Parts: sequence; C-alpha cells; structure tokens
Amino acid sequence: MNRKTKTNTNTNRNAYYTNGKKGKLSKATTTGILILITFMVFILLFTYLSLNLKNIDFGYEMQRLISHERQLKEEIDKLKSDKAGLLNLARVEKKVIEELGYQYPDPDQFIRVIAAKEEKEGR
Amino acid sequence: MKINRSERNRVFVIFIIFFLWVIIIGASLVKIQVFDYNKNIAKVRAQSNRTFTMHPKRGTIYDSSGEVLAISVKAKSAFLSNKDKKDSLQLFNRILKLKKRFPLSKGDKKNIKNRIRKGDKFIWVKRKLSDKEYKLLKKIKATNKTHAILDFVEEYKRIYPQSSTACHILGGVGIDEQGLYGIEYGIDSTIRGKDGEAEVVLDARHKIFNLQYLTEPAAGKDIHLTINLAAQFFVERELEKAIKKHKAKGGAVVILDVSDGAIIAAASYPNYHPGNIKWSSNDRKRNRAISFLYHPGSTFKIISAATALESRVCSPRQTFDCHNGVYQVKDQVITDVHPHDTLTFEKIIVYSSNIGAAKIGERLGRKRLYEGIKKFGFGTRVGLPLTGEEKGIFNPLNKWTGVSAAFHSYGYEIAVTPLQMARAFNVIASGGYLLEPHVVKKIDGVFLKPKKRQKILSPSTVRQMAAIMMEVVNRGTGKATRIKGIQIAGKTGTTKKIGKSKGKYVSSFGGFFPANKPAITMFVMVDEPIGLYYGADVAAPLFKAIAKKMMIYLNIIPGLDKKNEIIGNIR
Repeated sequence: MNRKTKTNTNTNRNAYYTNGKKGKLSKATTTGILILITFMVFILLFTYLSLNLKNIDFGYEMQRLISHERQLKEEIDKLKSDKAGLLNLARVEKKVIEELGYQYPDPDQFIRVIAAKEEKEGR
Repeated sequence: MKINRSERNRVFVIFIIFFLWVIIIGASLVKIQVFDYNKNIAKVRAQSNRTFTMHPKRGTIYDSSGEVLAISVKAKSAFLSNKDKKDSLQLFNRILKLKKRFPLSKGDKKNIKNRIRKGDKFIWVKRKLSDKEYKLLKKIKATNKTHAILDFVEEYKRIYPQSSTACHILGGVGIDEQGLYGIEYGIDSTIRGKDGEAEVVLDARHKIFNLQYLTEPAAGKDIHLTINLAAQFFVERELEKAIKKHKAKGGAVVILDVSDGAIIAAASYPNYHPGNIKWSSNDRKRNRAISFLYHPGSTFKIISAATALESRVCSPRQTFDCHNGVYQVKDQVITDVHPHDTLTFEKIIVYSSNIGAAKIGERLGRKRLYEGIKKFGFGTRVGLPLTGEEKGIFNPLNKWTGVSAAFHSYGYEIAVTPLQMARAFNVIASGGYLLEPHVVKKIDGVFLKPKKRQKILSPSTVRQMAAIMMEVVNRGTGKATRIKGIQIAGKTGTTKKIGKSKGKYVSSFGGFFPANKPAITMFVMVDEPIGLYYGADVAAPLFKAIAKKMMIYLNIIPGLDKKNEIIGNIR
C-alpha cells in the first residue's frame, strides 16, 4: 500500500518536468510562472500608482480643508470686527438718543435692585 | 483545443517582448526614482515648489471686558502690472473715473502716473481696499481689454472698530502693519508675531496640493488691556466737552484702579483716528497723559504735606504764618490768591495757600523734601509700553537753590506728567502704597504678574491726608466736585505757565472716591483754558462729570435714596 502511494507521488511530481527529465521545468510551468510574475509586477505597479494618486488626492483635499479653515477664521475675524464696529459706543449712543429718543437718566431715576440674598448678607 | 508549436512560439515571443517592456519600464522607474533621485527631485522642486514668507496675523487688542479695540482682517491690495505704458495709463484713467467712490490723494495719482510713464513693472494702485473699493476695481478688472494687468494681493488690514476711542493708548500701525505709536509700538514684537517660511507644491495648473512649513510662523499674541472701553469712552467725551467749553489747547485724564494701579482710562485731547494715523498731526498724536510736562502747582501740595506728616515735622493742627498773602524767600516773592494771616497745616491745603506750603517745605528742609518727592516716583518713568512717555524734570539735590524747597512744596521747579500725578494721588488712596500704573492685563490669556508694591506712607499719614483732601472738597477749593451721596477727596491746582506761554495756565484736579473706601483715583488736566482758568472752575467740574459716570460703572449710584431700592429674588 505504501509503495503504491509513493509511485503516485512521483508521477505527479514528474508532471512539472519535461519528458520526465529531472531539473528542467516544462514550458507550461515556465509560462505560468512568468505570467504570475508579470501579474504580480502589474499588481505592484498598479498599487503603487493608485496609492500615489490617492496621496495626491488627499493632498488636494487637505489643502482645500486647510484653506477652508483659514477662510472661516478670516470670516470670524471679519465678523468680530464688524460686530465691534456696530457696537461702537458713539454709534450706539447716537442711535439710541437720536433715533429711539432715549436719554441719560437723572441720578434720582436710578433704581437699584438688591437681590434678597445680598440684602440678607447686609451688602 | 491543441496549440501547435509555432503558435506556442509566437505567444512566447509576444510574452518575452511584453516582459522586456515591463522590465524596461521597471528599470526606468528605478533609474528615475533611485539613481537619478536627487537630480530629478531638484528639477521637480524648481518647477513646482515655491517658497514664500508667511506674515502672521497681528494679535487682537481687547479692553478689560473683552471688547475688540484693534483687530487685523484680510483685505485686498490692488496693483498694476505695467506691461504697456499706454494701456496702463488707459486702465488707470478708468480707475480715476470712479472719483469719490475710489478716493486717491492728488499725490498718489501723480505718483502712480509718473511710475507708469517711467516704466515701473509693479505699481501699487491702493493698498488695503475697503470691500466697496474692491468690488469697484473687480468690475474694472473683469471688463479690462487692454494688455495692462490690474490684479490683487491679500494683506492684513488693521481695524479700529471704536474709531478714536483709546487712540492714544492704541497708537496705530503703518502700511506694513508695523507698530508706529502707542501700545502697537510698545509691544510690537509680542503683538506682531514672527514671519514664517513655507514651501508649497504646485501641480501643472499651479494649484497647491501640498504645503510644508520650513519655519512655522508664530502668530501675534492677543492682548487684553486694563482699559475699560465704556469708561474710556465717557472720559474722552467729557474731556472733549470741557476743552471745547473752555476753548483750551488740550487736556488729559488718567483713571487708576486703586487696588492695583491698573489704568482704567487714560484720555488725551486733541485725538485722532488710529486708522488714519498717517494723516494725523503730531499734536493730535501726542498722548498728553504721559508726555505733557508741566509744573503741577497746588496739586503737588499733597506730596509735600504727606512728606511733612510722614517725617513728623508738622501736624494737621499746627499753625503757620501766611504773611497776609506776600512772602519773600531770598530774592523771590511768593503770593497767595486769597491772603491769610495765619493758617493751620490742614487749612493750608484746604484753601491752597502757596505761602503756607512754602513754609511747610522750609520746615521739612531740602533733603527730606527731596527724598519724599523721590519716594512718590517723580523723576522716573512709570514704564508703560507706550510711546513718548516723559520722566519729568526733577533736579538732583545738588542743583537745588535756596528757594527750591519752598518752590517745590507748591509744585514749581519741578515738571511732571498727569500720569505721575495720578500715581502720586493713588498712594494716599491705596493706603500708602506706591503702585506702578500698568495698561496690559493679559498677554495671550496669561495674566501679567503684578509689580511689587512699595509702602511709602504710614496708615496715620494716609488717614490724615485723606481727611484733609475730603475737607478740600467739602469746604475748600474743590467744592465744585461735590456729589450728593458720595464723598470725594481731592486737590485743585492752577499753574501759571512760563516762557513762550507766559500768561497762560494749566488747570488740574486730582482725587479719589469713595473717600471712605477708595476704588478710583483720577487726575484731570486742562491746558491753557481761556477765560476761567482756576482748577476749581475748569478741572474740578470736569472731575465731577467723569466721577458721576464712573460711579455708575462702579455700581455706586450717586444720590440714590432708599426709596429707589427694590429688594427681590433674582434667579
């Protein structure tokens, strides 16, 4: 039984060699290996190129986001400056007095609201 | 299907050719990427990499409550690329047709035209345009059919949203955002940051796809000042009103926080808009609060009196002969506006007798008076990071003459700034401590360490001086500052100018309030008022007007009766 199995294995191994001569690969095997290598090289090249392209894409995306962030920061600064300009005390006072007809209160028109807690503490 | 030998050979040859092609490509890649790496990378860098300097954003300046006082925002600057003189002139003439919508000074117009004719390649049309101006020029650019190029670059523009408020503190910047005056100059290196260098990689369309910092730019630090915008605004307005009312040449007000010497407001008039610093005169730009030198006059009696009490050579009840208004010291004559026969030490200050003060000075003696004045910080700069601060004129003891002690004791032979006077008044308000006035509260969110305070007056001297200064307001020359419901302590001053301005006066008032628990020290000065000129008539009412506003700011409401108080639960 053991002997029969051994013979079968030898037959299978011989299939990789030409005419059963040891040390030489059959043409089909060589072609297969070469196709495989070529395929691998292609895969590598493709991966390399696609990674590079992805990298470039990421670069663009990053730059877009960085510039967007910068733009937003600038926008915030501009809004801050606009807000401060609108809150310009001279401007606000002018609008309040001239347009809304308000006036500064006399000292006896002030009302001080004392919080109950504050009063308890005797402040 | 069987493949015959010749077919197999053909496939093999094709495969070999294909294989060789792959090998050649691979080898070329290895050559490009490995062997010629340095050469190629240099080529690529030369083609697609650009190195440029990055200017950091200038730090923002805030007031003590976080209101923006100065901020830098991006703005466009327009330039002409002068390829063809005729076309450039034609394009520039189109810009000039905008007239008032795009204002340019005569000098600028002439200069640009000359540069176009001269053939300069790069010519600024206008830097840091407003949004409206940019929109107008953008339209011109879009419809430009000449060979001349109108284009824009982005730059930072300094904005002062509060217009002229706190202008002398803020100062201003130049066209390249460099500090020129005020705090903008004083802490320029902190607020400006440091330029950086960046390298960008561009693609074939000159679009950036990578940016790397060679040296990272350090952003300018944000500054929080001790100035309170609302207080500063009211102070400036009251000062302007007073100066206009008295047709004075100028004036200054300094308000200090008694607890730490922080400057709550420092106003000077005439003023300017920090955004238009280029067109403002030097007189407007002058910060009189720190650079106006004058003889302090009677306000200085506080210093000589405090020194006398501290040295224990006088007491408040001590009587002095006031020679009925005329007193000769060596070859000089000292006079009083209101003659008195005799006055107590206290009344000398209350009624502001020059002769009495001279007598106190003489009793103190030159050395003790000199040391006392020195202790109050006269003759030295306060050391604010602002431009133009004067240290005053305070002669060394060896230059003092026989009349120096008498003259110094009522504020002559010495020149001071309003800020120095405010610092001196604050000694009494703060319980005898000499506190260094400061204007910067925080840099980039970090509180600045307070300087060491120096105790120069004992509590008993402080108590006696405060009582005398309250009397000045209640019964003496400072009556004009009285406010119902709050006690003010202060001293008036009127100084006769000498030299070119002979016959003109400086009116001043210094004080603090509430006198029982001082929170605010204030010093006001009005230069060359016309008509009324006494401190009691010009400076004291100004002090009162500002004090009223400051009380609201401090939540002290003058004259508030119990009926105006509401007690309730506040959630």
